[in-house]
Order: sequence, then C-alpha cells, then structure tokens
Amino acid sequence: MKPWKFSRKERARLLNDGPKIQEAYNSLECQHRLPKSAHKDVETAIAIARKFNNEVLRPMYLERELKHMEDHSFLSWDILKIAGDWRLYSLFIPKLFGGQGLNFLGLYPFIEEISSVCAGLGHIIFVHYLGIATVFPSFNAGILNKILRDVAKSEKEGAPRLLDLVITEPDAGTDVQEPLLFNKARIGTDLKKVKGGYTLNGRKIFISNGHLSYWHIVMFWADKKNAADTFIQMVVPNGSRGFSFGTLEKKMGNLGSTASELIFEDCFVPDSMVTLECNDPHLVKSPKGVRWIIHSIVDFVVSSSRAGVGAIATGVGRTSYEKALEYARKKTVDGDLLINHQWAQIILTDMYRNTAMSRLLYMESAYADMLSGLFKLLAKKPVDVFLRVMPEWYFSLISPFIGLRLVTRLFRKYYFDWYTDEERNVSSGWASIAKYTCSDVGLVNANLALDIMGADGLRHEFGAEKCFRDVKLQQIYESTNQINQMNTFYCLVGSAVPEVQYFK
Amino acid sequence: MNVMINQPLNDTLCDERLAFAELARDLANKKLLEGIEENDRYPFGPLFAEAIKDAAVVGFYGVNLASEHGGVDMNAGMVAVILEQLSLVDASLAAVVFTNAAALEIIRQASLESDCSPLYAGISSLGTAPLAFQSFSGPGETDMPQADGGGRISGKARYLVLGDIADYAVIPAAQAGAGGFSWYLVDLNDESIAKSKPIVSLGLHACPAVDISLRETPCTLIGGPGCGLKYFDAMADGMSLCAAAMSLGVMKGSFQSALDYTSDRYQGGRQIIDWPQVRMMLANMAIESKTGDALFSRARQEMENECQGWGFTARAAAVHIGELAVKSTADGIQLFGGNGYMKDYPQEKRFRDARQSQCLLGMAALKKIHYITDYIEENK
Repeated sequence: MKPWKFSRKERARLLNDGPKIQEAYNSLECQHRLPKSAHKDVETAIAIARKFNNEVLRPMYLERELKHMEDHSFLSWDILKIAGDWRLYSLFIPKLFGGQGLNFLGLYPFIEEISSVCAGLGHIIFVHYLGIATVFPSFNAGILNKILRDVAKSEKEGAPRLLDLVITEPDAGTDVQEPLLFNKARIGTDLKKVKGGYTLNGRKIFISNGHLSYWHIVMFWADKKNAADTFIQMVVPNGSRGFSFGTLEKKMGNLGSTASELIFEDCFVPDSMVTLECNDPHLVKSPKGVRWIIHSIVDFVVSSSRAGVGAIATGVGRTSYEKALEYARKKTVDGDLLINHQWAQIILTDMYRNTAMSRLLYMESAYADMLSGLFKLLAKKPVDVFLRVMPEWYFSLISPFIGLRLVTRLFRKYYFDWYTDEERNVSSGWASIAKYTCSDVGLVNANLALDIMGADGLRHEFGAEKCFRDVKLQQIYESTNQINQMNTFYCLVGSAVPEVQYFK
Repeated sequence: MNVMINQPLNDTLCDERLAFAELARDLANKKLLEGIEENDRYPFGPLFAEAIKDAAVVGFYGVNLASEHGGVDMNAGMVAVILEQLSLVDASLAAVVFTNAAALEIIRQASLESDCSPLYAGISSLGTAPLAFQSFSGPGETDMPQADGGGRISGKARYLVLGDIADYAVIPAAQAGAGGFSWYLVDLNDESIAKSKPIVSLGLHACPAVDISLRETPCTLIGGPGCGLKYFDAMADGMSLCAAAMSLGVMKGSFQSALDYTSDRYQGGRQIIDWPQVRMMLANMAIESKTGDALFSRARQEMENECQGWGFTARAAAVHIGELAVKSTADGIQLFGGNGYMKDYPQEKRFRDARQSQCLLGMAALKKIHYITDYIEENK
C-alpha cells in the first residue's frame, strides 16, 4: 500500500486547499485543455514575426527612430501599410469574423518578437489587437463582424483600417480604468441620448495609435456620478461628424506609435454603432448585475492587454540582453574582452534569467486568459476544430446570420451569466502580475545593459538607450504598475480575505 | 584606512559655498528654467549657446583653476556645489561645467609634479570657454588614439563631450612602445581634426558630444609621459563628488516635482498625495534624496578637510547616489502617471539625465570593480 494513498475526495480537497491548480498552474491546465493546433500556431506566429523583423523592421528601425525624434508629428503610415501587406492585422482574428484565425495564444510571443526589434513600431500592431480585445467583450456579434471583416478587407486592399481603445481623459486616468474607482472619477466628457443615437462631447487623451486608427472603440458614461452602472461602449469611425484629431503627445520613447488626443464636438454616434449599453435588457436582467458585468468586461480587456504589455516589456528586456551580449563579445576592457570578465558574465546571466522569467510570466498570464478570460470560448476544442476545419467561404456564407441578436445573446449568456468570480480573478490577477513584473524586470535589464556598455550604451546607434526609454512606458500604461499591484491584491490576495477593504 | 571617525571636520568654505550655490541657483532659474524642453531638443534643435556663455560670465569654467591662471582657485568640491544647483533645474549645463572641470583637473594634477605654465598659457580661452573631455569614459574602456612621441597624435577619440564647441580638448593617447598612456592638449580648430555629427544620446542632450578623428594632429603632452592613469585616478576622486552632485540635484528636482504634482492631481476622488501607496513612493524618494544629501555632504567635508582616503568616500558616493537617482527618478515618472512620460513635464528628462550621469567617469560596473581593486590595494 502506498503511504500517500488517498481517496478521490481527499485528493480533490487537497488540491483545493490552495493554491488551486486553476489559479497557480495555468500552463499545466492548458496541457490537456488546449487544442493541439495551439502549439503549431504559436510557432507559426513566432516565425512570421521573426521574418517580418528581419525583412522589414531591423534594417530601418534606428533610422526611423531618429525621424521621430526630429519631428514628433511624423507618423509611421508606411510601416502601418507594410504590416498590412503582411496581413498582420487579421492574423489573430477568428475565421468566423473573416480573419486568419491563428490561435490567440500566439499573439503574445508574436508581440515579444516584434517588440524585441522596436517596441514603438511593434506597438502599432499590438494596440490594434488591444482595440479588438476592447470591442470583443461587448460580444455584440453584429458590430464585431462588421468591423473585423472590414479590417481583413481593408488590409487586403492595401489601406488597413486599425482599431484603438479610447478611454483616458485629462482628469480621469487610473480611475476610469479601475472599476472600483469608477464612481470617484472626475469624468470630463459628456454623453447625451438623442434620436437615433448619442452625441459625444469632450476630449480623450493618451490614445495609443489614435491618429493611425480608423475604428475608435470609445468609452463614455451616461451618468458621471454613477459611472459604474452607466458605462457605454461604442464605435466611432474616422470621418464621423464632430470627431477630430487633436495634438500628438511628445513622448520619451515608443516613438513609432502615437499617443493622441481625440476630440468629440457634438459627435453623433448612431445606435447601430453602440456595442454595449448598461440598460441593455440582457444586462439588466442578468443575475450577475450590471456592475459585476461591467467589471468583468473591463477585466476581459485588461487581462488580454496587460499580458501583451508584459510581452512587449519582455521583448525590450531581451533586446537589452542581446545588445549587451553582442557588445561584450567585441569590447575590450582592462585588456581583456568584456565577455571574459566574470562580473560581466554574471550580469549577462542575470539578464538572461530576467528575460526567461519574464517570458514565463506573460505566457502564464496568456494561458490563464485562454482558460478563464476573453479567449476561453475559442480555446474549447470543438470550437477550435469547427473554426479550423470549415473553409473561408463557409464563414462568408453565414456572415449575415452572425448579426442576429440571438448570436449576441448566446455570447453574452456564455461570457456574462456563466462567468465566475474565480475565472475573472485568475485571468485578471495573472495579467496584472505579468504586466508589472515584466515591465519592472525589463527596466532592470535595460539598466544593466547600460551598466556594462558604458559610453557606447548611451549612444543612439547602439540601441540600448532606446530600450531604456521604451521600456519605461510599460510600467505606466494599461494602468500604472501600482494599480496593477492593487488589482493583483484584489484578485489573488484579498479575494480570500472577507474583511478586506480596497482603496481606503 | 580612510574614514576618519575621530577627525574633526571644519567648514571653512561655508560662505563661499553658499555664495556659489546661490549664484548657480540664480543662473539656473533665470537662464535655464523656461527653456528646458526646447534646449533638450538638441541636436534636433538649437544649442543653448547663451547659457553656455552665461556660465562663463559668472566664472563657472574657472572655479577649479588656479588664481595665477585667472581662476577662482577652488577645488572640485566647490564645482560640485554649483553642479547640484544647476542639476535641480537642468543637468545639461551642469554636464558642460563638469566636462570643463574634469579637463582642468587633469592639468592641475599634472601641474603638481611638472611645470604646466606654458600649457595654461597656450589655452587662449582658459576659464572663459569650456574645455572638451571624454567625460563618460574611463581609461580601461577607452580606445585611445596613438601619440608618435614627436608631438603628433593620430586615431579616434570617441564621445568627446563639447568636442564640437570647445577650442581645446584634453584627451588620452597611448604611445607605441611606452607603457601606460598620457594626456594631451589638442587644438580642436586644427585642420587635421575631423568631427562627426553630434552624438544622439540618452540624456543630457544639451551637453553636446562628437567623435573626432585625428591625423597627425599637433598636441602638447600634459605632465609626465605614461602618467595618464595616475592623473585620471586623482582627477576621478574629486570629480566623483561632482558626478554625485549632478545625480543628487536631478534626484532632488524629481522629488520636488513629484510632491507638487501629487498635491495638484486628483484621482479616485482625492488628491493623489493622499493615497497611501503614493505616500509610500514619496517616502522612498524623500529618503533617497536625504540619504544622498547626507552622503554627498560627508564626502564633500572629507574632501575639504583632506581626510585620509576621502577619495574612496567620494567615489562610493558617486556610485551610490548615481544608482539612487536612477531609481528615484523612475518613481518620479511613475507618480506623474502618463504625464511623467511626456516631454511637457520635467520627469522623463530627469530620468534620462540621471541614467546618463551615472556613466560619468566611465562604465558603471567597471567603476565598482576599480573601486574594490584600489580599496584592496590601499589596505594591503
């Protein structure tokens, strides 16, 4: 008899004692729950990104950076178009919506690869998918189908139309990204219901890719004093009446992409472009309650995006390591190659360790998202097989039916009513851990590279100083690392402590 | 060895220090404050030539120059006092003053053992315009040009700070067959010198630098041949204090801006300074600034009192305050949120300047290795 013999019930209890398998071993869970094709898709995504880096980004990114430094209003339209010619904007869009249907798990290593050459130019692609991850949790199948099919179509036509996420305001930043603070935010924008739609007024700032995007996924609130219950998401395309572009922020790094001001002056949005309203009957009748659903929608977005920021930071941290290694192989210090100094070997080893650890973290977050977050439906084996096996013409054929309200209702039933606190906490908590850890570690690596590259590290042409500037942004956006620490506490620490209070 | 716990420390230069500090503060507030963002655009915008001249007018390029050569006859500690005040506002001008002071220190070290009067006399703009120097390189990491022993020098001098605006540079060069290296004075207007485009750097943008190529350029040996490392080490002791001062000024400026901003900015229904998490970050910044201040003051006092081993304290201060400043300015950005990353606000520049300042006098990691090597040697 084995000394550790236990009953099935006891085994389950032991595993539930915590940390639970579903909370702490996402990658292990994925081993049997993810479709086999995911592995191949991740490899394909990495290979595509590396080819794109070698043929497009690497030969020009440093020269391009100088152009952005010289002229902050310079926009990378040409790179945006080239990425479209490579079909990178529809790569991860499900075939159901006209995309190429690569597994979303591959998005994160893809982003690491692109960012390992240029975080700014990589950001153009990442933010587009952030926009998709923003509109997706509305689960408004009709609008999703319309927009995402347009992305694929415009890309093929050589004039890609990208998505972005529009939420931050001059006086409301952190508090409109954190559901627990919604009702304390100083919201400056106005929303008014009019016949056939809404009118929007006010300014949104720090919008990544704002000037470069076509489909703007905007967040407004019907009642500023009760923002938590009156959230409205809609889509504003370029050319909408009353919509215009404002200034471009002058940033320290990530110069390839923009941080834009978007201006709404009596901007009219028809009902047909409203993706989600709090007074939607389904939401109102949901047993979960409107506030819980809004919180979950925000977490669907940030669970996807923050892992992406972790991937960007990993890419930059990895480049810092690679630049330092390359330098150490050529540089002579105190009469010997730098690489042969033991202290330099230890620094390089730490940098490698940091990169490896960072990658594990954002991937763990991506696994959590596949199991418990926005991508959980797509990760189901039958869904995956269906989407993979059926030909493109079939999805084009059924496309008109995707707009039926029934499809939206089914999506929302699955993602809102059947969604659990535990799933939300795991996916959101891990995303925050990945975001703030990868960005912190990325900055450590950028710093270490400068430590051993001396005066050469300070020079633009060596690329290390760019890493130092670029990686700092990763600690700030998609909510500051400090807010992500709080979110981790909320999701993974405080969730088991009933007496805890937040944001006291 | 060094730290003299029992030795009394006198402060005989207090009045001069206060006067120089006030002068530097005044210059920074009147001449630098308004143009920080514009000046930081260099080399994609104009150089703040007026500010560089203003520093000459108030005598900042002659602080550590002997009075018989038209200087103020103070030591690097007094330069450090100026640099801290300038760096509170814009560290770029401080880096200009640092570069000139480092070059002068090399010559001063040489003058302690040989007559450098002709050399001083040969610098037409002595004390009135800055000298160029490789401020971000230490000897063990520098690829040096070659001197031919006949008063000519050939090769490349990389990252020569002020190389495109100064008339003269103090640069190291090796001589084939001779041990070590020596320091040389070169006239940067000599036609045998080719200069690169301005270097685009991480920080301290308004303190310009270039690479220069020398082809049998006439040069003047500074001090004894082969004494390069000795002069550098002696210079580095004093100038470490100056590097520490720059980091300290940048760090203090970042903290003060963070205090002001967090008092003004509302998030989550209150001034963000009232969020405990923000307070903790401010507390860390305050403690880092105060620790840096205390360490810097101690190092400066030891230097002024010529305490045994004061150079170790100065070098330790430079390394430690340099690290503190990078950490502190990173938090300084964080407390500004997205605004901290933008050039309209002062924090991102301070972050870059702090990191660049950490490289003054050479590779950060190598400075530590050299420190412990010297420490062990000293304590044998």
